[in-house]
Amino acid sequence: MGEAIVVTSGKGGVGKTTSSANIGTALALLGKKVCLVDTDIGLRNLDVVMGLENRIIFDIVDVASGSCRLEQALIKDKRFDQLLLLPAAQTKDKLALSVDAMQTIIRNLKTQFDYIVIDCPAGIEHGFRVAITGADQAIVVTTPEQAAVRDADRVIGLLEGVKLPPAKLIINRIRPHMVKNGDMLDIDDIVGILSLDLLGIVPDDEHVIRAANQGEPTVLRPDSRASLAYRNIARRILGDSVPLMNLDEEAGFFKRMRKLIGLR
Amino acid sequence: MAKSAKSTASEGTRDLVMIKGIRNGLVFVLADDAPFTDVLTELEDKLQGSHQQLLSGSTLSAYIEKGSRDLSEDEEKALRHVFASQGELIVSGLDGPPPFKDWRPKDPYVYKGTLRSGQLIEHDGDVVVIGDVNPGAHIISSGDVFVMGRLRGSAHAGASGNVMAVVAAAYFEPLQVRIAGVLRRSPETYTQAAEMEFAYLEGDQMAVEKMSVLAQHRMRTRSSHAVI
Repeated sequence: MGEAIVVTSGKGGVGKTTSSANIGTALALLGKKVCLVDTDIGLRNLDVVMGLENRIIFDIVDVASGSCRLEQALIKDKRFDQLLLLPAAQTKDKLALSVDAMQTIIRNLKTQFDYIVIDCPAGIEHGFRVAITGADQAIVVTTPEQAAVRDADRVIGLLEGVKLPPAKLIINRIRPHMVKNGDMLDIDDIVGILSLDLLGIVPDDEHVIRAANQGEPTVLRPDSRASLAYRNIARRILGDSVPLMNLDEEAGFFKRMRKLIGLR
Repeated sequence: MAKSAKSTASEGTRDLVMIKGIRNGLVFVLADDAPFTDVLTELEDKLQGSHQQLLSGSTLSAYIEKGSRDLSEDEEKALRHVFASQGELIVSGLDGPPPFKDWRPKDPYVYKGTLRSGQLIEHDGDVVVIGDVNPGAHIISSGDVFVMGRLRGSAHAGASGNVMAVVAAAYFEPLQVRIAGVLRRSPETYTQAAEMEFAYLEGDQMAVEKMSVLAQHRMRTRSSHAVI
């Protein structure tokens, strides 16, 4: 029996979809059988980030309405046989997917996969309630901004209302120099406000944008720091204890060399 | 449309067998409430006698409309025997003419503007978009799809099974093209500069050609799919 993890945030644009794609791909890299589920009906993105947009024939609403079998709607990833995507519908309304239908789909997926990563839509309305139903675990993504933390707090409160174990926190898009200057919220501040276990911190990285535009998850690029961060997150999900990334290591190879020979 | 070819009642008495001409044969309407033997006799008279001139020539399909009458095996055999002895008519069915297929062109749907992600046009007939079709937008047409702009979304032509349908665009860069039951998805990247092109079916394979070839394609398929 697999485990369903919902990735949510409340606020839009903090990196739910990017995190879902990268965590899913990282878990597949670690040899797990993973299904990514996009529940953002009408504003689907996960397929674009994964570079699978042109392969969609059936979607989750078709499965829910019984117009196709679940297996017909699952799209195999270009890179991993063990990684599949259940895309959202684009031309339909959020209300086209009901809580009951979602529960059935997730229950069904759990018999076939080790991990089901559910990408939640922004907001806390119907789409959110559908996305979290059937999940065994929740990951809350936030960025070091007041607004994002405020929304994350709201979402955590709602998640406590349903019988889920305490959510795990990912702080995304950290810019170490801004944190150092006090222009960005500190990691400790955020964890203090939200009082959740930290699953990982992801530094702001241009690779992420480039990769998303190319339809290739960042984790597949070994040279990116965000990639390392997501691979660490995946290992923590599997139960490994991996120390948090040291953000001060931001400096590149040359700077480190200079440091070594005392040039600072 | 079915046009009545020959059915004049003689001296005020009702015809027990009515003959109608349709596009691909003749329909014989048997009166419901007359004894079978009378109907059979009249049929024989008409085929052998009065209408023989009319019916001679090339072979035709005969559709019998028996109405509410239940034909026994012997009666059916007798009926077929009458037609067989005539020679030019082949009995193609006992339940009336085949369902009429409407080949009249349907009104096209013309959309002016940009069709954006999540928007869907579904139309029974051709679809013409004067504008762009963005990724995530979807067109489903029972006829052809013409985009007078960039086609970057998905288009399904001949959605009710018409394999002659085409998908054409000024800038042909669709995510997905479907014609009847055949699906083709985009290459990972479009390398050549897109130009005015259209997609069509060559057997069960999809092909893409320059727009200037569309007329030839139409001529070719029309002759091979000729309908009388």
